[in-house]
Amino acid sequence: MLIVEDERKLAQVLSSALQAEHYDVVVAASGEDGFYRANAELFDLVVLDLMLPGRSGLEILQTLRQRHVETPVLILTARDGVEDRVLGLDRGADDYLVKPFALPELLARIRALLRRGRSSDILRLKLANLEMDLVARRVVRGDRAIDLTGREFELLEYLLRHQGHLVSREMLARDVWKEPHRATPLDNVIDVQMARLRRKVDLDGTARLIHTVRGVGFVVREGEP
Amino acid sequence: MIRWWSTASIRVRLTAWYTAVLALMLVVYAAVTFLAVRHEFHEQLEEETHTEPDHVVAASPEERVEQQLGEILVVLALGLPVIVVLAGVGGYILARRALAPIDHLAAESRRITADRLHERLSVPNAHDEIGRLAGVINDTFARLESSFGQLRRFTADASHELRTPLAVIRGIGELGLRETRTPAEYKESMGSMLEEVDRLTRLVDTLLQLSRGDAGTIRLTRDVVDLGDLARDVVSSLGLLAEERRQRLDVAATANVRVIADRLVLRDAVTNLVDNAIKYGPEGSTIRINVAGGREQATLTVADEGAGIAPAHRDRIFDRFYRIDEGRAREMGGTGLGLAIAKWAVEANGGQIALDSAGTGSVFRISLPRLGTS
Repeated sequence: MLIVEDERKLAQVLSSALQAEHYDVVVAASGEDGFYRANAELFDLVVLDLMLPGRSGLEILQTLRQRHVETPVLILTARDGVEDRVLGLDRGADDYLVKPFALPELLARIRALLRRGRSSDILRLKLANLEMDLVARRVVRGDRAIDLTGREFELLEYLLRHQGHLVSREMLARDVWKEPHRATPLDNVIDVQMARLRRKVDLDGTARLIHTVRGVGFVVREGEP
Repeated sequence: MIRWWSTASIRVRLTAWYTAVLALMLVVYAAVTFLAVRHEFHEQLEEETHTEPDHVVAASPEERVEQQLGEILVVLALGLPVIVVLAGVGGYILARRALAPIDHLAAESRRITADRLHERLSVPNAHDEIGRLAGVINDTFARLESSFGQLRRFTADASHELRTPLAVIRGIGELGLRETRTPAEYKESMGSMLEEVDRLTRLVDTLLQLSRGDAGTIRLTRDVVDLGDLARDVVSSLGLLAEERRQRLDVAATANVRVIADRLVLRDAVTNLVDNAIKYGPEGSTIRINVAGGREQATLTVADEGAGIAPAHRDRIFDRFYRIDEGRAREMGGTGLGLAIAKWAVEANGGQIALDSAGTGSVFRISLPRLGTS
């Protein structure tokens, strides 16, 4: 995938993070370079900064779409005005993130973009001896049935769908709580809810599945976080 | 000519107008007088010749009359310009005297700049025109001074708030680099840094929202909002927090109390109030949310059973970054902007927010114009 980002440090962080997830990464450090590469090669995905020296991100995006290149494009912007987002999405971007963003969130969105078009009708989720039946809405850990409230169920489902990957509070606020923006009170609610879910799921304390990663968010996986 | 006219000072223009009008009036007056006198003379002459036809005089009466009239004309023609010039000079001096206080006012105002906003114009006589003008200018200066003061305080407070997390990040980073540590310790340090980054981000977001609010660039939607529904919505989303502190959230709502407002923005305001009530209300207490509607006003109150807010703090409680207890509020992760946001949110929707605190517990009251019940 192609990263077009002029801020050297940020480009480096992005490319390391993506390489750690086993993606092949090419970095373009200017608008001109990005424009040239995006048009010369075929990528699975383009991460595009909107404010670039040389050519603006929007220009690159527009040219790509005019040439009917349907590569998914995720735009990064420091401006969070509604107009900027609408402009970006209108010109053919598939998703956007406002700086400063959390890496887990970027990775989750990239996964979602790459997965797009493929069926995601999963009926059962499983991790270690934890099983979740999405149709019957039943959760079992080993042979112990776990009784969850509606919100706890949705939360666990979201975590399991992203198992092995970090999930930020931002993502939870938006996707599970369906709140348009994250606020301090909501963060506290998320933490309390997570603590309760953990008490129910990791009851016996033998093998913990839900882990808190300080300063970042949560992850469900076997073993150490 | 036109250019000169528009650049000349009021003093000069006033004098010119005055002189021109005076000259015109004098000319008309003189002409009328002269014609009247001439008419009178001729009538007299006619009478004389009529009554004494055989009387013999040295000079013919017509010649005498014409001579007298000529003298009067000369006096008028010479005197008029002199009077006009004298009046013009007098008018100029008068205009200068009358307008001098304005020049003075301008000079004084120029002296008072952003750095010297505490100074005021001297007002010799508050009741004349100049005095009233000076009063108005002084009021403007007072308002400017207060908003400059607010801006300065806000900037200072904001930098302070931004500095604190920065200092923490820096400290953790420097400490981490001083000696080799275990990976677990590094993880801990980085996590702690990220927490501070999170705080910074949130602070910047909130500041941005407030500054957009000030600039009026946030476009609010106009939804019909049922305050009872809104209260129940907020309570259901924050219920968990109250439960943790064994508090009860009580909603008493009159049905059909509706207002026109941006639902999300108003919801933020109510969320902030209820969240505060949960934080500052004692464990096991009850928080009452009451929705009532009068004929024209709709009110939503949030009452806690906490310690209340001392009168000294009441006026400033809605100020940005104002905190009653610095350490405690920070501990709880607040930005110090919650109530400022709530105030903005309510006022942007055409309502008011107020605090009634009577020693035992605080009552925050949001009032908005009520939407007709029909």
